[in-house]
Amino acid sequence: MSLVVQTLADGLVLGGIYALAAVGFSLIFGVLHVINLSHGILVLIGAYLALVTSQALGVDPLLTIPAVMAVLFGAGYAYQRLLIQRAVDRSPLGSMLLTFGVALMLQNIMIWVFSPDMKSITPSYAFASFSVAGITFDAVRVSALAASLVLLLCLALLLKFSPLGRVIRATAQQTLAAQLCGVNVKHVYALTFAVSAAFAGAAGIVIGVILPFSPADEALWTMNAFVVVVLGGVGSPAGALLGGLLLGIVNTLTAQYVGPSFPNVTMFLLLVLLLLVRPNGLLGNAFSASR
Amino acid sequence: MSAAPILQVDGLSKSFRGLRAISEVSFAIEAGSITSIIGPNGAGKSTLFNLITGYLAPTAGDVRFRDRRITGMATNRIAELGVARAFQIARPFRDLSVFENVRIGALFGKAGSRDVEATTRRGMELAAIAHLADQPANTLTVGQLRHLEVARAIATRADLLLADEPCAGLNPTETAAMIEVLRRIRASGVTIVLVEHDMPSVMEVSDRLLVLDAGAMIADGPPHEVAGDPRVIAAYLGSPDD
Amino acid sequence: MKRSPALVPLLIVAAALVLALGPFVLPPFYVRVGQLMVYSAGLAVAWAILGGFAGYASFGHAAFIGVGAFAAGLVENQFSALAPGLLLALGLAVGGGACAVLSAAVAYPILRLRGTFFSIAMLGVCHVCAEVNNNVDFFQGSMGINFPPLAPASMDPADFFFWLYLAAGTIVMLIAWLIWRSRFGAGLLSIREDEDTARMLGVPTERYKRLAFVISAVLTGLLGVIYAHALGYITTDSVYRDDTNLNLIVFSLLGGMGTLFGPVIGAFLLVFITQVILGRLLDFHLFATGLLLVLLVLGAPGGVLGVVRGWRVRRRAATAPAE
Repeated sequence: MSLVVQTLADGLVLGGIYALAAVGFSLIFGVLHVINLSHGILVLIGAYLALVTSQALGVDPLLTIPAVMAVLFGAGYAYQRLLIQRAVDRSPLGSMLLTFGVALMLQNIMIWVFSPDMKSITPSYAFASFSVAGITFDAVRVSALAASLVLLLCLALLLKFSPLGRVIRATAQQTLAAQLCGVNVKHVYALTFAVSAAFAGAAGIVIGVILPFSPADEALWTMNAFVVVVLGGVGSPAGALLGGLLLGIVNTLTAQYVGPSFPNVTMFLLLVLLLLVRPNGLLGNAFSASR
Repeated sequence: MSAAPILQVDGLSKSFRGLRAISEVSFAIEAGSITSIIGPNGAGKSTLFNLITGYLAPTAGDVRFRDRRITGMATNRIAELGVARAFQIARPFRDLSVFENVRIGALFGKAGSRDVEATTRRGMELAAIAHLADQPANTLTVGQLRHLEVARAIATRADLLLADEPCAGLNPTETAAMIEVLRRIRASGVTIVLVEHDMPSVMEVSDRLLVLDAGAMIADGPPHEVAGDPRVIAAYLGSPDD
Repeated sequence: MKRSPALVPLLIVAAALVLALGPFVLPPFYVRVGQLMVYSAGLAVAWAILGGFAGYASFGHAAFIGVGAFAAGLVENQFSALAPGLLLALGLAVGGGACAVLSAAVAYPILRLRGTFFSIAMLGVCHVCAEVNNNVDFFQGSMGINFPPLAPASMDPADFFFWLYLAAGTIVMLIAWLIWRSRFGAGLLSIREDEDTARMLGVPTERYKRLAFVISAVLTGLLGVIYAHALGYITTDSVYRDDTNLNLIVFSLLGGMGTLFGPVIGAFLLVFITQVILGRLLDFHLFATGLLLVLLVLGAPGGVLGVVRGWRVRRRAATAPAE
């Protein structure tokens, strides 16, 4: 019994992080209709930046979040304006392949700079833990989950109440109408991308604190984001949270009860099945256009 | 009416989430005729076409083509029986030439043997675009695209052509050309049902008018009779006692 | 289109015969590069029957290489007493059959998805197959499977497999050409252009898509069986490769998406670039492929053939009198 509860608790922690790692992907998909296959790379860039800065400055990795987010915000804006915008009006396949090309290049650069080996960030409280009602919580995992939830809440509030959030939502719903109302759509797209990249970077830091990472992980984090979006729905932090938690629980349950190497099977199986069963409900436009 | 009608619609209804787009529409189309369906915007004309061609499934009612029930049949099966449709917003195969576009219609469409090459030529000639054969479809003007749309539909060797606003947005010269094309197609033995807004062309070309308003049929008869019907005038202009 | 119909297959066979002289004149390194080129070209054409003709760009075709190879290997090892030729025939039949069954089962649901959703779902299918293959002991994916040697003792295996790939690739190309000029091919093209309109014109879109998917999967699986024999020993990781999944798209993109010869040109070019030009710079491969992808999407979405066609149109426009 307590094993089930422990597994579920672990799943929730993991799920919160999945949600944070996916929310930017979801936002870009919802607003720009671009499947950003370089999302996982943005996550990893966040992790590596936190690794470097926290070691250089000797600060807690979670404290580097604002600086890393700022850097990725700028980089994301430029990335969208300079590259993705040029492919966005062509075919969805084109923009997807473009982001894939960028992911390959950046992954290669990462291997040159950081080596292909696994890295991890170790905060001072790495081995502290406490237990509540017989269930053990690591301090790292709890702080990671807390950071994820706070950041998701921030994004939700930003989208809901800030002028930027309103413009982003308006553009997502009625691109043409927003344009007619004087919205500079390219600017909004780039800002959306910037926000998304910033949150991907933040997610990378949180991931780096609890899991080891290497340049080859980028595809895994991109696929994770995709599954979360398919599970929870496009474009909203709440959807990402729902999808993330579901995926986290499914993953830990499979690893615990089916076999440690099976979470990937379950994840992809879930992805395929969900695409087939709920393409309309969860992913509003899965069937709309043939390209 | 001696012969059986080519198309028979009985009590056809369609609701979208409780909203009635088409309610209990019934009519029969005589072979060899040109019938126009008119009505204000949002009256359900395009939905009616979507129901007949199998693009949408009706909530209730029946569609029969040549006495065969086609309700809920797959779109391509309905095309194989001999029903073709020209879209209002032309949807050419953009990367293909005019000839290749029309050839797709000739290769598929109504079941049975055919001479693909000759059928393609005939479709382009009937729609008066034979001179554009080698042009890529994405270089055509709006008017030419409409003709391509009709040519491709005719190349399916259909017996019934459903044309969705073939004259919308065309200038008077182009409209006259399109009317001429429709006449020629009818003369070749094809029954035509039009959805059209352009009243002068409707009055000129049609044998019969059906008027839809808010999803229901409100008038049916020869053009001049229907045009004078007070209910039709009310539907278009709003009745004085509204 | 105005070429006489018999010319294209004659050209294909003639080109194959010229290429077949390769092992007699080329140094061994280039024979190995040639092997990879011809194998890649075959895969590219098999992929393009679905991805290029019908516009359903699969991101998971390595699934069929893996399923074909493992199905063949598992069965061949039960009949290892057979003569090599018979064994290969058996392997091809089993591998192709397994891919036919898998693709027919997957086709119905997955082809309802369009565009990028289909692509990603296929990636999912590939990973599910790979993980199952790797983690279910029966399939021996993590342990690996040995394949009996095929090449006659008198022949260099590199030469032998070059010719085997070439023969298979030529057959795939001829099949693609037959489809390309048939009614079926025209239907696939119309599906790529606008699936709803195609259906409205009477194209049996569902049936055609499924058929193209199964043909493409089986041909890919057959090439996978030969690939496994060429390697001699395979594990899950050596056949279910994500770089294969990617390269299959890049081949068509580079040569010209939706054309008959584009995938072949793309495969030859990409293999030449990565193996010969960047041959010594292994660390640079990911970067180069990524850069190529970015440049293609932004600069030449029509690929090599698209660029050539653009030149031709411009030259014709320049020489033709103004309208």
